[in-house]
Amino acid sequence: MSAQFTVQATPAAREAGAVTQTVASLPETFGPVPAGHTGPADVLVVAGSGGWTAEAAGAVQSGARGIMVANPIPEDTSELAAVADAAGAVVVLDLRWAANPALVAEGSGPDARAAVRSGLGSASLLDSVATAPPGTDPRQLLSDHLAALLAVTGQLDGVAVLRGDASGYTVSGRLANGAPFTAQGVLTAARPAGVDIRLYTADGGVDVQVPDPDAAWPAEVRVTGPHGNLLLPTLYESAHRFSWRRLKEHLSAGTRPDDLAGFARLTDLYATLTAT
Amino acid sequence: MSHHAAAADRPLGVGILGAGPVTQAIHLPALARLGDVLEVRHIMDVDAAVASSVAARVGAKSSTSMDELLGDPDVDIVAICSPHHFHADQVIAACKAGKKAVLCEKPFAMNGGEAARISAVSAETGVPIVVGAMHTFDPGWLAAEQNWGNLPETAHTIRSSIVLPPNARFEDFATEIVTRPAAGRRDYSDIEVIKAALQGGIMGLAIHDLPLVRRFTPDFEQVEVLQARHVRPFGYTVSLRTPSRVIELRAVMNGTWKPEWTFEAIADDSALRIDFTPSYVQAGSAVATFTRRDGSETTSFGPYGHNGYEGEWRELAGLANGTRQAPSAQTLIDDLTFALSIAEATVATGAADHANATRTAGVSA
Repeated sequence: MSAQFTVQATPAAREAGAVTQTVASLPETFGPVPAGHTGPADVLVVAGSGGWTAEAAGAVQSGARGIMVANPIPEDTSELAAVADAAGAVVVLDLRWAANPALVAEGSGPDARAAVRSGLGSASLLDSVATAPPGTDPRQLLSDHLAALLAVTGQLDGVAVLRGDASGYTVSGRLANGAPFTAQGVLTAARPAGVDIRLYTADGGVDVQVPDPDAAWPAEVRVTGPHGNLLLPTLYESAHRFSWRRLKEHLSAGTRPDDLAGFARLTDLYATLTAT
Repeated sequence: MSHHAAAADRPLGVGILGAGPVTQAIHLPALARLGDVLEVRHIMDVDAAVASSVAARVGAKSSTSMDELLGDPDVDIVAICSPHHFHADQVIAACKAGKKAVLCEKPFAMNGGEAARISAVSAETGVPIVVGAMHTFDPGWLAAEQNWGNLPETAHTIRSSIVLPPNARFEDFATEIVTRPAAGRRDYSDIEVIKAALQGGIMGLAIHDLPLVRRFTPDFEQVEVLQARHVRPFGYTVSLRTPSRVIELRAVMNGTWKPEWTFEAIADDSALRIDFTPSYVQAGSAVATFTRRDGSETTSFGPYGHNGYEGEWRELAGLANGTRQAPSAQTLIDDLTFALSIAEATVATGAADHANATRTAGVSA
């Protein structure tokens, strides 16, 4: 039996999104374009480097039903959103950390977003550290970092870059209740890449540790309160696979995700930072 | 010179100035574990009832006068656990009284002038002074020091993060406190309250780890504050920079039960993380962990059986016995200068941020 949807990716997109191994983990749903097939594949994978929105829009206009964007950088998505809306195409963003299933779960499952948002009213401080190897573009790291933070907080105010240099960056701002937040990027090969988000509240807090998506090691979300320290169920599914599974659900159900609308908030925030 | 020649087999006598919660919940329990070498013989507090009550627990004399304690020939080592602004004069008086060693709770002075006076008196009298920066005596930290190689030269990022419940939680696990100071309600709209909280945060809490931070900051004299903000109900977020280092300080004292006290020094290819146990309880030492190669190589040291408070008393006993070398006065002065410069800049920056936030809130309202 052949797969339900054919997939095509450029070499760059294939590498950026770990496409081969991820698609191989959904073999009933996705598969390569058969030899001799003409016409566009059902799904086109786009690398999220500069110009990805135009490339994705072109793919939709060429007939792709689904677009998977591997680790996109902030870009204005309004034109792509209009093209996708007109064609009824599904655009899913495979974000390095923000797409991890522990951050925003399917349906009503427990996740970091619900845990963090339930604590924001009594927040004292949100402190976050993103780690990546030396040589990483700090702007890309900051984008990945802010995407993860926005996924769980929904809103960050008064955001400003305090410093940016060869060892990383420090960004500060305020949560909705006025409490401070800080986001630090650290470039080092001594630790695994990932992002750590810690919300401290009046009587405990939430600790979120998100690994890189190159393996299915699970994120850990721990909620501390008077009840003790609760580890939310661990999900051994990478951000890559969760993104592909969401694409499958939307293509199968004929529904549309809100990835582009959510990403527009990141693009707006990022634009204000890079303009200062 | 000492007023009293201790018998070789007799424990060294300890006198403590100030009998508040730190003395009751930290020093007396630590000293109770070291009865073969140290013995509390004199407790002084301005509140006679507190002095008497606390002294009775350990079979010591009590008084309300510093001079009486310093004149007590049974006291070999003086611990200064009084409010900060008394520290300098009491350290100097203890040195001049010819005691064998002095422990001063941090900070040992409130400005550079006081520090210089202390240094001069210590040099003149030869009395060694230990500042109660307990983490520098923690066996976990000392093990890290033995194994960190060139990390102090190569680290580019340093983080200190302190998350603690109110002190009472751990004080009550350590002892039965008498006369705990009343906690007042703070008016966070008052900029003077914010300034006092930031000053207290740096000189009362961050100062525990600033000597550790300084060990990894060779250009500590050029520290610049990028951000300083008060964290409610008590804490701070402070971002610092020197020409070669990034330093991030975080602290939250909230209603949590879960303490997290960490120090990190991170270089391109190696990193150190130290997880300290909370103050007050005798919960053993910190654990120091080195990581390399994306975290795939990990080496840990600890936990060991005692913490830094017990470590500093062991150090004092060694100093008083002449079996250990006195710490450099310049190190203590540099630690203090570093802390004072951060505190001063933090208060100024934090006050400006608070005023700005208040103005912004007023506009949007």
